[in-house]
Amino acid sequence: MREQVIEVLKSHFGDKPIEDNSHLMDDLGADEFDIVDVILQVEEKLNITIPEEETFDIMTVSQLLEVVGNHVQSD
Amino acid sequence: MLMGAGGGLWYVQHLKSENEILTLNNAKLNDAVDQQQAVIEQQLKDIEQIQTINLQLTETNTKLTADLQLAEEKFNKVNASGERRDIGNLALNKPKSIERIERKREQQRARCFEIAQGSPLTEEELNATKKSQINAECTNLANPNYIPY
Repeated sequence: MREQVIEVLKSHFGDKPIEDNSHLMDDLGADEFDIVDVILQVEEKLNITIPEEETFDIMTVSQLLEVVGNHVQSD
Repeated sequence: MLMGAGGGLWYVQHLKSENEILTLNNAKLNDAVDQQQAVIEQQLKDIEQIQTINLQLTETNTKLTADLQLAEEKFNKVNASGERRDIGNLALNKPKSIERIERKREQQRARCFEIAQGSPLTEEELNATKKSQINAECTNLANPNYIPY
């Protein structure tokens, strides 16, 4: 799951270094729409659905991994 | 001789009469010329005004086209893989998220107008140096210390 999320992030943001504590906006240059786009791509890639409310506060890679992880396990 | 003198007198009077008519006609023609000149001057002023308005419209159109292109790039920007973001698709699949972002942007736009009308910048706005801290709608205006990276 982690590799797939990182893969989506890399395809979206290019060769910028991606760490768990990387901030999607401040470190990777995302805007708010990018974050929604990334979440949608991750959902499609992993064939999961994450309720939107759970994604509102995602700002770092680790937060994204945590929320996605919850649904990969439970789906 | 008397007839000759009479003929001469008649001729002179006839000339005087014709001269008066010509003088009157000349005055009328001068009036007409003045009126035409006034019309031409007004038309020149109108043309000048139309040209100014045309220029302003062209400038507005250029600005709007640039803004539209900027909005297009902002909404449907291309990611590192060359894929264009489809904001319509995002709104369809994640309506609450997009609505939430738009509400935030609306608040930011309102703040931009306040600043433009003279509202002083807050400490938070002045100290914003990260992308997550800025007003995305008018960064140049709201966050003078932010350097895009």
